[in-house]
Amino acid sequence: MAESLSARNIVKHYGGVVALSDGNLDVNAREVVALIGANGSGKSTMSKVINGVVVLDGGQLLLDGKPMQFSSPQAAKKMGIATVFQELSLIPQMTVAENIWLTREPLNAFGSVDRKTVQARTEELLSLFKGTFKTDLRPDAPVASLPPDEKQIIEILKAISFDPWMIILDEATASLDSRQVERLFELVRQWKGQGKAIVFVSHRMEEIFRIADKFSVLRNGRTVGAGMMKDINEKQLVKLMIEKESVFSYIRGESKADKKQATEVCIEVKDLSTDLLRDISFKAHKGELVGIGGLRGQGQRDLLLSLFGDIHYSGVVKLFDNEVKFKHPRDAMKLGLALVPGDRAKEGLLYIRSILENLMLPSWKQYGTPLKLGKAKQDATQAGASLNLKMAGLGEPVSSLSGGNAQKVVIGKWLMRKPQVLLLDDPTKGVDVGTKAEFYALLTKLCDEGKTILFYSSDDEELVGLCDRVLVIHDGIIRAELSGNTLTREGLIAASLGVSEGYHPDARTGGAE
Amino acid sequence: MRRSRWDALMSRYPSLFALILFVISIVINLILQPNMFAKDTLNSNMRVFLPIILLSVGQAIVILGGGIDISVGGIVSIVNTVLATRVGLDGSPERMWQFIFVSLFAGLLAGAINGFFIAYLRLQPIITTYATSFLYAGFALYILPNPGGGIPASIAALYRDTTPLGLPLAFYIIAIILLIWLYVSSTRFGKYLFAVGGKPDAAYETAVPVTLIQFSTYVVSGFMAALSGIAITMLSGSGNADIGASMTLNSITGVVIGGNSMSGGIGGVAGPVMGAITLNIIQNIISFAHIDTWWETLVKATIIVVALAAPGVINLIRRRRS
Repeated sequence: MAESLSARNIVKHYGGVVALSDGNLDVNAREVVALIGANGSGKSTMSKVINGVVVLDGGQLLLDGKPMQFSSPQAAKKMGIATVFQELSLIPQMTVAENIWLTREPLNAFGSVDRKTVQARTEELLSLFKGTFKTDLRPDAPVASLPPDEKQIIEILKAISFDPWMIILDEATASLDSRQVERLFELVRQWKGQGKAIVFVSHRMEEIFRIADKFSVLRNGRTVGAGMMKDINEKQLVKLMIEKESVFSYIRGESKADKKQATEVCIEVKDLSTDLLRDISFKAHKGELVGIGGLRGQGQRDLLLSLFGDIHYSGVVKLFDNEVKFKHPRDAMKLGLALVPGDRAKEGLLYIRSILENLMLPSWKQYGTPLKLGKAKQDATQAGASLNLKMAGLGEPVSSLSGGNAQKVVIGKWLMRKPQVLLLDDPTKGVDVGTKAEFYALLTKLCDEGKTILFYSSDDEELVGLCDRVLVIHDGIIRAELSGNTLTREGLIAASLGVSEGYHPDARTGGAE
Repeated sequence: MRRSRWDALMSRYPSLFALILFVISIVINLILQPNMFAKDTLNSNMRVFLPIILLSVGQAIVILGGGIDISVGGIVSIVNTVLATRVGLDGSPERMWQFIFVSLFAGLLAGAINGFFIAYLRLQPIITTYATSFLYAGFALYILPNPGGGIPASIAALYRDTTPLGLPLAFYIIAIILLIWLYVSSTRFGKYLFAVGGKPDAAYETAVPVTLIQFSTYVVSGFMAALSGIAITMLSGSGNADIGASMTLNSITGVVIGGNSMSGGIGGVAGPVMGAITLNIIQNIISFAHIDTWWETLVKATIIVVALAAPGVINLIRRRRS
């Protein structure tokens, strides 16, 4: 097994765009290095350079001090470098076992894949995450049928299945719930003990401080700082990432007034049930920011989709005291609802089309026939400016934007319709801290303008910091409604785990490090 | 992510639909032609079916890998014209064997040309093979401008009348193909094929040799097309540069009826084999029912549309019901 890997002065261009101009990274065995940076700072490119997916344009990779060149993922793999990709590298049509062992299938004497061995070894790997799956996860289950968190876990298992000396976890925790993250961190500590090196890429500060030994910060393609975690605090780290500290002004703690309860009821839900949800009832007032929390996949997405008319439900939904039953999202849109979907790549954006087209997609009707393009451009420019959208021009494809900016386009396209009710499905997933802060300010502003926002997030911290109230969904029912004094991280986690009577110490296994 | 029973069943057994159609068509055929399973009838049917079956198997491999090959008919024509002109009606068996060898090589080469353009130059499969289909058909026409030539009747009879243990030769060939597939699908190549057809980017990141796999599917298809050409030449005993033209659509129909996903990554070879047989039986039914032959294309096209639309229609009905 190798002992160390260093990247020196790495340069990488994509066409005219410089992704990395001076990337540096040192990783040693028995170490967890956090690779940190805002979206678009070059983190993903850095991990792709190390694992051979992209060929570098300059700089050097040193393995145990010797210059190395990885021209393909195969070459990096041979060197014992495994990657857990953010965009999943699983084949949906194939089974869990087939995916994990792809290219390394144990063969029998005839060259056939040895099914029994595959089955046994897969079971062994799955047992590492035993107890964190919602359903009994079988090795022969097709990957397409799994929820996102389980797909991510399969991705992790696939990476460790060939016993690499170095593991790159690229946003691997983004779609995991807290139990699964705990389990992953236990494993990371084990791997460290076994002499492996781990590169941990994440946006979640709290996780970085819990698991990493060292950090390396990228900003605009340059490594701007590196050192030991114990010598730095959260504020200093964020400062390194975004230069100007002022952006990191969380709205946390502000405007949690009860006065909003006094305004008229905007949305009222009574006994809403779907395949996943049972008898959901709540009210949201005008100008209120209502959080929806809980572990992933407990029905939060279903709730937003049924309110938007995208899935079938039973029960009563009232909008400003009028009962509504949307058959199609366009009915919901007509009455001023907007949904920012959770998977921006799949449901939110047309990546190869221009920013202008993406922003205008829900609103073209307002621009007549033939389209008043001049006015559309003007409005889009305005929307872009108000969202602080960093782009080369409205005509550029969305694929040219970083994750945070792409998410701004998703939100922007709905804001252009001036909605009354915003349904947000985990909008800050995979978004950098700077953009998050801007985003929080935007939500607060929208509420002040009298919009009602239902905000599902997998980030407990932002629910607690931002929302007036949080409905915690567990196993399809509202397990708790937290507000004011009861709205704390402990309370939220406890309710997420199905412990309804306040905060239970057992619910925080291994949380204190 | 909710999945209904039907979805689960269909994803586990993609050829279920093929099996149902297969059984229905056999039953109808049996009603119209009670002696369908008599030794001679069976043999005379199966030897006509075999060329399309072989072609569908090759097509299935390409489609599983995420591509499509519409040049197979042209390859069949090349093989047919080569055999008919070089062996001749009074050729020796040795010469026949020699040119069978040449034909197989020609098939591999034609497939390799397709594969090179598609896998290595990254051209669109449908456009590329559409273009090469004219190249191959044109080459066949150059070899044999007017129908004619042929192979010795004695050699044709070898294909037409060989019935070991009273069963048609085609059964043995199908059995061998299925056994080979059973083996291949259990090897790494098989897993790679599904991976490349399912999600090529992910397969690449996992270090699957994507380009090589894509290339090889066209080579396999070319080889199967050559086998198909040899079979149809031995069946007809004569040469005609136009012989393969109508077979391309049939091979694709066989794969579609066989339940393979047109976008790749789902299915197998048994389904397309059944699909090809079903397609031929339907043609028989049409002729037995004294329906004008010009209906045939219409019926075939309808079957493709129905087979392609079936999953969507089932989904629609389910959505309406809920």
